[in-house]
Amino acid sequence: MSYTTEIQATARDLLSSDQVSCVIGYEVGPRGRTRPAFIYTADDADRLVWNQNCTHNLTTYLHQKLRPNGYTSAPAETERVAIVVKACDSRAINVLVAESQINREQVHVIGVACDGVFEGAGLGRSDGATLQHRCTECGERTPVTYDTLIGEPQAVDTLDSEHDLAHLEAMTPAERAEFWLSQFDRCIRCYACRQACPMCSCPTCLYERDDSQWIGMGNGLNEKRTFHLGRAYHLAGRCIGCDECERVCPVDIPIGLLNRKLAGEVEAAFGYRAGLEPIPSPLTTILSGKEG
Amino acid sequence: MQLISHSGLATWLDHLAQETTLIAPRNVDGVLLYRPVQSSGDIVWDFVRPVLSVKEAFFPATERVLTIEKTGQQIRLNETVPDGERVIFGVRSCDARGFLAMDALFANTEPVDVYYTTRRENTALIGLSCNEMGETCFCTSTGGAPDDPTGMDLMLTEVDDGYAIQVITEKGAALLPEITLQELAGEIPQPVLNDPVPFPPMEAWPPQFNDAYWADMAERCLSCRICAYVCPTCRCFDVRDEPLPAENGSQHFERIRCWDSCAGEVYRQIAGGHNPRAAKGDRMRNRFFCKFYYYPEQYGPVACTGCGRCVDACPVNIDITEVMHAVQRLAEVEP
Repeated sequence: MSYTTEIQATARDLLSSDQVSCVIGYEVGPRGRTRPAFIYTADDADRLVWNQNCTHNLTTYLHQKLRPNGYTSAPAETERVAIVVKACDSRAINVLVAESQINREQVHVIGVACDGVFEGAGLGRSDGATLQHRCTECGERTPVTYDTLIGEPQAVDTLDSEHDLAHLEAMTPAERAEFWLSQFDRCIRCYACRQACPMCSCPTCLYERDDSQWIGMGNGLNEKRTFHLGRAYHLAGRCIGCDECERVCPVDIPIGLLNRKLAGEVEAAFGYRAGLEPIPSPLTTILSGKEG
Repeated sequence: MQLISHSGLATWLDHLAQETTLIAPRNVDGVLLYRPVQSSGDIVWDFVRPVLSVKEAFFPATERVLTIEKTGQQIRLNETVPDGERVIFGVRSCDARGFLAMDALFANTEPVDVYYTTRRENTALIGLSCNEMGETCFCTSTGGAPDDPTGMDLMLTEVDDGYAIQVITEKGAALLPEITLQELAGEIPQPVLNDPVPFPPMEAWPPQFNDAYWADMAERCLSCRICAYVCPTCRCFDVRDEPLPAENGSQHFERIRCWDSCAGEVYRQIAGGHNPRAAKGDRMRNRFFCKFYYYPEQYGPVACTGCGRCVDACPVNIDITEVMHAVQRLAEVEP
């Protein structure tokens, strides 16, 4: 059975037995682009697909499903949804659970043992061959948490262990600052990076421009730098490395580099990588004194 | 019609870059944008369209509209009208057609927007016809064409030995190089066209206002603002006064206006916190109703030029042509 058939069968079963009200998965739109899909009836389950353009981290939609009235209200406890996740996406489930954003019982996780997703996926620019950078560094093809597993658990070696941070780390601080400012300069503050991110779950973003007291409304370099560096700090120890922020950026700012750098720092300092288990990041909790 | 050779064009553009501010498609770290160029060598020639439309040269992401100086009880306002002449080369027909929509609001409706109109007056547009339409282009469905000279001052179309030059306005004629140009032999080649997408007429839209379609199609929307910011006709903005460093015992402020987007969650929020368009479906519906119904009703032109940028940039494949198909279909079922 293909992954697509298995996902469809699982969705049909979950929906017809009323175990979940919705299955969040992937479909292919009329233009042939793979995109998120919300399936509510067993009859619609055959819209679901699995392919190597399933790049979106669908866990970002769990907020709207399980917290329909926003974060200031209690979660809708009766709601239960299923969601299709890759290994990287599954780490987001653990972080969301650890941060009390969702109840694990309210999510039926359909984990896919993934072969990696293609560069340009979801935007009609996939060549059907080149894997995304994050996938070439990923040795964990099996989701860290799931209720149904599609495909066989597999151990794979990372295809490309060469770290792309090396050239940044070789720069002088002044060169690095110049590199980042030239990248941030293209930002149009569309907030696609923030909106696509499952970890950007604050009810009011510090960097929102409409009513912000912390950062100006303008599109100046100061505002853009503050937004990007601030967001990176807020994700340190929380970013699970799905790189959706980088994929969705319309002006190709390499946001993932920044996140990988900080994830590396957190791992070096605390031996902690976000989302491997449903425990909160050491940076969001009180230090116990044992970390030194 | 006259012909300019490839080398003649390069020389002319080099000259323009020396004489004035020349803006053209330029590769900025792998991203194609309209940016000032120093010579013709900086210009990218083989492209469908830059990521952002030429709109940003007239209605920038952020602009200062005035400065405020407060000394004791005295307040002085200084208007900051842009100056400087510019030439933009490599303008696509879809973007120039966007000025029909932009002008309708900023130039042809009182109060006239001095910032926008000053930039329009000070800027000449040299168009570059598309030989073929990009995969997501649908300009022919919204009234345009890949070689439509509407809104241009000069229009260039690639031919065998160079570029055919169509002079559209006097402003364009004044830009022409001082060298003698050859007469073009033969016809200008016709661009290759995509199949058109349905264009639902205005009356097709209001009956679909309460259809479940909007909530369904918008469910995957991320509520980012890409679609509005890459669009050649989206022109919503927000205005705020922000502090500048104090000087000589006076407080200084600037009034800025910045792009805003109806796709963003807080765009429509009002005093007291109520949000009449809190639901994503309501926001997406507004986006498409604005383009094809509200805007033409209020100002005349349709606020979509078929450039396809939003189709290419949307991370979750919300596709305006799919919406046009859907509204057409809904209108046929329930006219």
